[in-house]
Amino acid sequence: MALFPLSSLFEDDFVIQLVPVDTEDKMDDVAQKCAYHSVNRRVFPVEGKVMRVKRHSNGEVFPRNMKVQDANLLPTETIEVFYNND
Amino acid sequence: MSLMKREEWYDLTRTTNWTPKYVTEDELFPEEMSGGRGIPLEKWENYDEPYKVTYPEYVETQREKDAGIFSVKAALSRSKFMDNVDPGWEATMQLHYGAVATAEYAASIAETRMARFAKAPGNRNMATFGMLDENRHGQHQLFFPHTYTERSRQWDWAWKANHTNEWAAVAGKNFFDDIMLTRDAVATSIMLTFSFETGFTNMQFLGLASDAAETGDHTFASLISSIQTDESRHAQQGGPSLKILVENGKKEEAQKMVDLSIWKAWRLFSVLTGPIMDYYTPISHRKQSFKEFMEEWIIAQFERQLLDIGLDLPWYWDEFIADIADRHHGMHLGVWYWRATAWWNPAAGVGKAERAWLEEKYPGWNDTYGKSWDVITNNLLDGKENLVSPETLPVICHTGFIPLVTPPHTKRAEGQLVDYQLEYEGRLYHFNSVVDKWVFETDPERYKGIMTAVDHFLAGHINPPDLAGALAWMGLSPGEIGKDAHDFAWIEEFRK
Repeated sequence: MALFPLSSLFEDDFVIQLVPVDTEDKMDDVAQKCAYHSVNRRVFPVEGKVMRVKRHSNGEVFPRNMKVQDANLLPTETIEVFYNND
Repeated sequence: MSLMKREEWYDLTRTTNWTPKYVTEDELFPEEMSGGRGIPLEKWENYDEPYKVTYPEYVETQREKDAGIFSVKAALSRSKFMDNVDPGWEATMQLHYGAVATAEYAASIAETRMARFAKAPGNRNMATFGMLDENRHGQHQLFFPHTYTERSRQWDWAWKANHTNEWAAVAGKNFFDDIMLTRDAVATSIMLTFSFETGFTNMQFLGLASDAAETGDHTFASLISSIQTDESRHAQQGGPSLKILVENGKKEEAQKMVDLSIWKAWRLFSVLTGPIMDYYTPISHRKQSFKEFMEEWIIAQFERQLLDIGLDLPWYWDEFIADIADRHHGMHLGVWYWRATAWWNPAAGVGKAERAWLEEKYPGWNDTYGKSWDVITNNLLDGKENLVSPETLPVICHTGFIPLVTPPHTKRAEGQLVDYQLEYEGRLYHFNSVVDKWVFETDPERYKGIMTAVDHFLAGHINPPDLAGALAWMGLSPGEIGKDAHDFAWIEEFRK
């Protein structure tokens, strides 16, 4: 259980933001924490889709229940949050 | 007593090299300060500055210039201009003075270095006048805004800005430290006078003077156009340096210096000048769009000059041309959203007429940036002010010191990134373009210690680790903290 900084690029937002998550967070939790700083601020919410997380540098999509500590991410590494059907 | 014609003695006055007898040439002109790059002293004597002036001419001309600007200032001092001007324009001036005034004084230090350490006598001669010019610019751009300090503490930032950790001031300091305060005399002449002054400052001082005159701000227009006449002279120092480097087998090195400094200058302008021209200047007073100004002053200018000198266009020129149509929109959105961290009050500039103008000048704006502003506008109409202010930091580029942005609602090309990350000696660096990353890679040892506000935050330097702590870190107190220039009045025309 430790604070871990990530850089969040949320789908259709214009800026990458610092989002602190926890090493125990699953990717669904990460997506929610990222959404807080983008959705309803500069991006309208999207209904009926699931938020997924991928590594920005190579597009690797993380499983929804993968924990941050198991994703081999560097502190402040940039991740993308995007909407998907599942 | 009749005086000789200037042409009969001018060249004699600037032939001031001698062969040192008591010290070595290297002791007289240390490489670190002079940057002779192995080119012999005699070759540097071929340096030929296009604009020449003698000291008596300089004194007379400068005295006339100062009489001009001070008489305009005095004549208009009773006008209620500042009371009646659009708050977006007042913010423009606060931003200009804060970013520029003390940086001008720093430039006199850079000129002084050239005045002492340039191996080319013509360069030393011109830099002596340049040193006096920049001192003038620093003093005037502190004296003129001082009149307004009783209006708002934000006007005090003309002096204060570069003494703080405020992010825009830091972006400016990072740029100026890199190109003119920590470089040898030759590199300074190229990066400061050629790259920055011959193109970019024309934007801020002449383009802006044009908008100022349209707005009715004749005091400011006359001040900054007067300043720019000095610039036109001392900005000529870099061209002859480049010619000598190219003639003596140093073209690659010269090209790299030019490429690096043009890009860094561009990044600074995208966040400072772009928003001013396309968003803060009242719409009826805009002469040209930022893109149009950039195309006229920067693209055309550099394309001509670089090829004349025997250099190539920077390797990233196509990316640069694409960027000038887009980058500043994201910068403006970011500065406005994080406006509390600014010492000026950004005007949103997205009323109905403004959005139509933006669409006309930048087709597609409403389907991209406009959609972000739709959410903001709706939130304000619904009274949700908490959602139009941030609760975290943007990630900041380690070269440009500006946020990492991307056009919203835009599909990226295959392989195109927003963050070009680089791991170096165990640290992860973030760059907003391949060019920003390239700048770092030209000299990682020079740049590796850089810390953005995000790095400071994560290192525990910002306490408490929240907005209040960030504002304290940046030196922003109540009365200085930025807010919407019009107190959100612009949303009313959207209310049904």
